[in-house]
Amino acid sequence: MLVACLLAIAIFSVASPHYATPGNAVTVLRNSVELLLIGLGMTLLLAMGGIDVSIGIVMGLAAIAIGRILGADGSPYVALVAGPLVGALLGCVTAAVVVQGRVPAIVGTLGLLGVYRTAVFALLGGQWLSGLPSSLTDLLATTVLGIPVPALVIAVAYLTVWLALRRTPYGLHLLAIGNSEEKARLSGIPVIKVRFLTFVISGVLTGIAATFYVATYRNVEMSIGSTSALDAIAAVILGGTSILGGRCSLLGTVLGVLLLRILQNGLLLIGVPSLWQPVVTGVLIIGVLGFEAVSNRLPLTRFQRARA
Amino acid sequence: MTAPFLVARNIAKRFGALTALADVDLEIRSGEVLALLGDNGAGKSTFIKILAGAHPPSDGELLIEGNAVAFSSPKDAAASGIATIFQELALSENLSIAENVFLGRELKRSIFGIPFLKRAEMRQRVDGLLQELDAHISDPEAPVGSLSGGQRQAVAICRALNLNARLVIMDEPTAALAVAETRKVLALTRRLAGRGCAVVLISHNISEVFEVADRIVVFRRGRKVAERLATETNHEEVVSLITGAHPDVRALEKTN
Repeated sequence: MLVACLLAIAIFSVASPHYATPGNAVTVLRNSVELLLIGLGMTLLLAMGGIDVSIGIVMGLAAIAIGRILGADGSPYVALVAGPLVGALLGCVTAAVVVQGRVPAIVGTLGLLGVYRTAVFALLGGQWLSGLPSSLTDLLATTVLGIPVPALVIAVAYLTVWLALRRTPYGLHLLAIGNSEEKARLSGIPVIKVRFLTFVISGVLTGIAATFYVATYRNVEMSIGSTSALDAIAAVILGGTSILGGRCSLLGTVLGVLLLRILQNGLLLIGVPSLWQPVVTGVLIIGVLGFEAVSNRLPLTRFQRARA
Repeated sequence: MTAPFLVARNIAKRFGALTALADVDLEIRSGEVLALLGDNGAGKSTFIKILAGAHPPSDGELLIEGNAVAFSSPKDAAASGIATIFQELALSENLSIAENVFLGRELKRSIFGIPFLKRAEMRQRVDGLLQELDAHISDPEAPVGSLSGGQRQAVAICRALNLNARLVIMDEPTAALAVAETRKVLALTRRLAGRGCAVVLISHNISEVFEVADRIVVFRRGRKVAERLATETNHEEVVSLITGAHPDVRALEKTN
């Protein structure tokens, strides 16, 4: 993965004179903030054998809430809480449909995607929220001990999730459910609780992503988050998390997000229209899954031969 | 004779219009290997799922050491000392041996109210159990997906022992095993009973059953049709009980 990232950087550096500049590196990292947070939640969901294709629009709804608070000259501290709160609430809604309602995650969140998207249109009424005051931006565009706040928040989020995955029963339960929900249930794991909690965690992380989004761009447009779910799924499976569940890599997700953003940024700089970005993401997803299917098949036959 | 660990009375299970199990009376004793035999669909699996808490019975009652119990989940059954080793082994291939043995009942210490795993202690306990069972597995950190079928059975048995199970239900433990591994698992089964566990064994292999079982119960078409001490019956009689050719079974099926 690291090799792939470096390779992509090398190629684009040669192809575009604007690529290998400090300014552009900052742009790539800046563009990765929201996806790193959403991708972290998606890593947990995929590792659990779940998925959430509505997650980008969840970020949109949280961003609208934050924007409304800022637009009404509300306290930036209230806005700070609003993002994770709305994210958590929508996470509960998703969990209610998918976990309690026993609707398969892909179908349930696809249904919610439709509902949420219309909600975004209705709430925005065809107009962008723009020209928001800079109070939230001032709060988050600072550094603590020389580290930018977004980097700090992301580091804390990844560290917390890593600890939860590797050092607490929750992590074991999540991976066991990802391996087989039925077996996990038979092992006495509180499957419903773990799944519910994971959708809520993903919602909270997405709410934090929305906070950074609004702080950075100071507007909320109609199409907000429309490619986030696709990007997140691509980055996470690029990073080695299994789409079938049971296996995940947090470092892989970080690298997957960076690689995706490096590719998108690089292609833009060499003159590929941004319209093509989802095509790149889509091809990456298909490519990774195709590769996984093929490489899974080969060792399996060898293994079977060894047993026979 | 000691009092039975578990008594099943009049157990029945219906799935809609289908009666999978009717009027099953059974006693299960500690330190004894009880074999359940029967054709496919005879009701063995349904019966053990009821014992394991995976299905509630439609009728009848279960008594453990004389007290009536009602299981609403496998967790309830486990709390009463019943562990089930399913045919398709409920192990998570992506987790390690130690993690599997403790899955759902991890050892943990609380730091600021957050439960953290005690990995070193779990590993030690599992190491001890594996040696006690003579399971020939050296590394409790190995993923279960990398183990052979017999080794997986050993892990499942460790898991049961670790839950302080007093009744271990084994659903065709040797079905997918090579000969040498089968021998090991049968030895494990006897060792379990030797430790004072009650063992219920489901198998299709009759010679295997005669090798380890103390008592043999035959199911047919959702009913218990016979119960024999292993020493008081033989291969042919058991086969005729399973197929329904035995006069006792014929008489029974005529009256029903």
